Amino acid sequence: MNFFKSLTSINRRVIYLVLTILVILPFFLRFHIPQNIMPQTQKLYDFIDALESHQNKAVLISIDYTPQTMPECHPMAISIITHCLKKQIPVIGLSFDPQAPGLAIEALNTVVTKLNSQATSKEDSITYGEDYVYLGWKSGRIAALMEMGEKISNVFPRDYYNNYTDSLPLMQNIKNYRDIAISIIIAAADYPQEWLMYAQARYGLKLGAGLTAVMAPKYYPFLQTGQISGMMSGMKGAAEYENLLVKSGYTSETGKAETGMNSQILIHLWIILLIIIGNIGYMALRRKKS
Amino acid sequence: MSTDPWIWIGAFLTLMIFSFLFRDNPFYKFAEHLFVGVANGYYIVFYWHQALKPNLYEPLKAGNFLYVVPLLLGILYFTRFIPRVGWLVRLPIGFMIGWGAGISIPANLQAFIFRQIEGTVVTPQSFSKGFEGLWSLIILIGVICTVIYFFFSTEHRGVLKFGARLGIIFIMLGFGASFGYTVMARVSLLIGRIQFLLGPWLGLIK
Repeated sequence: MNFFKSLTSINRRVIYLVLTILVILPFFLRFHIPQNIMPQTQKLYDFIDALESHQNKAVLISIDYTPQTMPECHPMAISIITHCLKKQIPVIGLSFDPQAPGLAIEALNTVVTKLNSQATSKEDSITYGEDYVYLGWKSGRIAALMEMGEKISNVFPRDYYNNYTDSLPLMQNIKNYRDIAISIIIAAADYPQEWLMYAQARYGLKLGAGLTAVMAPKYYPFLQTGQISGMMSGMKGAAEYENLLVKSGYTSETGKAETGMNSQILIHLWIILLIIIGNIGYMALRRKKS
Repeated sequence: MSTDPWIWIGAFLTLMIFSFLFRDNPFYKFAEHLFVGVANGYYIVFYWHQALKPNLYEPLKAGNFLYVVPLLLGILYFTRFIPRVGWLVRLPIGFMIGWGAGISIPANLQAFIFRQIEGTVVTPQSFSKGFEGLWSLIILIGVICTVIYFFFSTEHRGVLKFGARLGIIFIMLGFGASFGYTVMARVSLLIGRIQFLLGPWLGLIK
């Protein structure tokens, strides 16, 4: 009886301690647990991979995550930006979350610095204003989303660095949603919902998403209807995209999401074990009582 | 190990927050209060520089007096604190509700009702690609049974009872998937912090 009772009341500090050890271990043991690629991540990857630079269409990335969700969303942003810039597809970044601009700049700078360090000629290097632009943050996102369908520079007359948006070489060909191949919303809050309502439904803009795992189940119905063309779900989605980039030779090594997934799998096994132990204890106690 | 003082501050604050896992303590309280204060300060400065200054103050300074209208509507929100003129708050609220409803009702219908119903309809084409037809059928049954579960106008008996029971199974599957994803999300945040402590702070991992 006491044994079964102890199964249902394990000290939470013990649970946390084992959990912490399981998070730390994979960073030092360097083992690799293979993962399958989910169809929604593959779809997003295939969509971007099929784009051609001569189509004169840009990829719009709405970077709307916050510092606390960086482990899930930051690797997504880095992977998407890398994929686009490696394929010479212009990238336009913007944000609607007040906490996002600093993170957006960090993601863009990380990728651009890395790619420029590998560049062998001027043509290979990435230049601000020609290959990518960051428009900054805007309040009143519903009005902004609708107005961008008419003219992007009406909403963002100046970019993050205070340049006139219309004066940037990249923005000469990009006027509104018609010039955008896909808009990818990397978010930690319900921003994709508004993109669906005001940009997708109204202007037919193609949408992709990179979401925290908490949000992902809500957006599966939109994948099924084709309203979202592809999606990365949480850290697993980010790790899958990193793997796809390595497999195709766009990058030589995976990033932080893939490293984190080893810990993630061990913790999931630990949680499943706790659920089983708890249920065995609960059922045994119930049987004894009856 | 890092020599950047900001990394050290970040690391200590992380450990202070984690100390709550053992028990509530003054270190945790300090970090929590500091976070609230810093977040408020950040938002005040951010909204002034990014929203109020470029969208209201500068146009007014440039002599564009049309901006007095939104300014007045905004100020009316504060009348709530003066009981005698508190009723004036209804003006901006009414304006926002009117604008919001007008703009969101058609968009909601289009994006979330019509397209979702369209996606639920099973057609002969649904069966053209392998298992796609089977999934479409399961989605259709799931939607109908879940709607039956939430249909309270009549007692759940006979076919309705069977449909509602099946609906519960679909709802539980949905909750299970959501719970699984939530666990993954929370664990990801912990992994992120551990990566920060082991990497930029202690320099033990790349």
